[in-house]
Amino acid sequence: MAEEKKYFTRYGDGYSTYMTKDEIKKDVERGVEDAASRGKIDPLTEAEKSYIVDIITMPAKMASVEPGKEVVLSSDEGTLKASVRCGVSIDRTTAVAVEERILCMDSAELAHIDYSYKPIKPIIFDEVCAMQHAELNSIIPLFYGAMPNLGLYTKPDGPYDNWAELLPAGKVAEAREAQEKAAEQAAKDIVSVADHMVEAGADALNMDTVGASGDADALAAFTAMKEIHRKYPDFPVEMGMAGEFFLGMHGKLTFEGEQLAGMYPHEQVKIAEKAGATIFGPTINTNSSETFAWNLARTCTFIKACSEESTIPIHPNVGMGVCSMCLTDSVPLDAASRADKAIVEIGRADGL
Amino acid sequence: MTRDELIKAAYDAVCAYEEEKALEIAHQSVEAGIAESDMLGEGYGAGIRHLGDLFERGEVFLPELVVASEIMQNVAAYYESRMTQKPKRPGKIVLSTVEGDVHDIGKGIVAAMMKSQGYEIIDLGRDRSAADIVAAAVDNGADFIGTSALLTTTMPEQKKIEAIMKKEGLKGKIKTIVGGAPITQRWADRIHADIYAEDANAAIHKVAAMMSA
Repeated sequence: MAEEKKYFTRYGDGYSTYMTKDEIKKDVERGVEDAASRGKIDPLTEAEKSYIVDIITMPAKMASVEPGKEVVLSSDEGTLKASVRCGVSIDRTTAVAVEERILCMDSAELAHIDYSYKPIKPIIFDEVCAMQHAELNSIIPLFYGAMPNLGLYTKPDGPYDNWAELLPAGKVAEAREAQEKAAEQAAKDIVSVADHMVEAGADALNMDTVGASGDADALAAFTAMKEIHRKYPDFPVEMGMAGEFFLGMHGKLTFEGEQLAGMYPHEQVKIAEKAGATIFGPTINTNSSETFAWNLARTCTFIKACSEESTIPIHPNVGMGVCSMCLTDSVPLDAASRADKAIVEIGRADGL
Repeated sequence: MTRDELIKAAYDAVCAYEEEKALEIAHQSVEAGIAESDMLGEGYGAGIRHLGDLFERGEVFLPELVVASEIMQNVAAYYESRMTQKPKRPGKIVLSTVEGDVHDIGKGIVAAMMKSQGYEIIDLGRDRSAADIVAAAVDNGADFIGTSALLTTTMPEQKKIEAIMKKEGLKGKIKTIVGGAPITQRWADRIHADIYAEDANAAIHKVAAMMSA
């Protein structure tokens, strides 16, 4: 009896493996069930699950959408990738030009190496000059991006006690108070940077990795978003998430009457809309121990639910370690292109 | 109440964060002559593990886990106070994020959860060198070293710990636990770590299994 055909695929950490179609189908099924159960959302249809299997088992190394179904691309931390990630010695304006004229990106993002709003505030006038210079030398929409990064507000980097240390010590009230104060300060810092970027002529702002420090981190971002939208209703702001749900480090924080902790993407996007966001970037965690099939099926289930709920464009984060992208320094093309195709065609993403 | 009813009541009290009720049930279990190990393992401890599962799904939050952990610790202290001989703690664990890695949320959750199970935790914080972590384990007579690496670039620090352990003849004497988003069982096998823990709950189960082996 002939051995059943096996297909090249990967695990979430990028480790390569070969699986039969039946094994891939089972993992797709498990991934969909896991997302539907956690998010309390509808599972994918049988046709959609079958299509994911087709995408994974297609023979070409690189997958793509059909002509005419392409989506626009935004790029978080964009100008740091050539210099910091790849070690190519170019300044940020040149990096924007490379994104525009060589990579043919639809938009680019100017970012500082610290990539957090707090350390940018004291050097904002340098950043304003950098933005003006980049704007004068490019045509595509230019974002200015950074993270709320509430962790930087804790000692020794900031003024407040570290709730990640207070909580294991049983100091719940102190941990909550520290988070509330940090969120308040972070929101002010984000709005301050936005004020200057509007003046500098930035086309848009990006709040990246929202919720990285838990629900207080998300509160800071939504509070800032609401204020920026109030002050500059025509200034576009993208909000990209850090993980698939807001970790309840505080647990009782609310925005517009909704508890933030435990919110999944289809709920997060509604809060982002209320705050005034222009583009929402959902994020689904990649499990490095599970297969690409499991991670991709799970991602598509969450993203489709988010897309169905959303009235603003969604650009899922498809970088290293999220939205079924492998946790490797250089994301493999076979997995990355298949993830992009499935997220656009099944998840119905508006951009990436 | 019967043994099973008391165990169920202990489980429910922890899951409802009711300390007074949890202590009252502990008192009743002593009166009824039920082994405290059964109450702690199958009742209160099972409740904590259930909350850990819910936390991992975003349905329970860290402050609630901490409150439940404190209830568990107070119940354990109540049982201890009634014993003529102080019971041995199940183990001592040194925890840290590895050098170059400041992402300590996951490590803090592991610390809170392991404490609730009675383990003594020596939390070194974040961004500590392999040599410092091993030295702290030796100085404190730890049974386990648990390290977290969130970045692919800091994973090799866990390998450094294994190398130091091997060089100093500590392998087998102090067990190592590795975790963090990019970490897998394959990585643990490759660097010869003793335990791979996907999350805090997995760490509890695997450490308990190794302690009882």
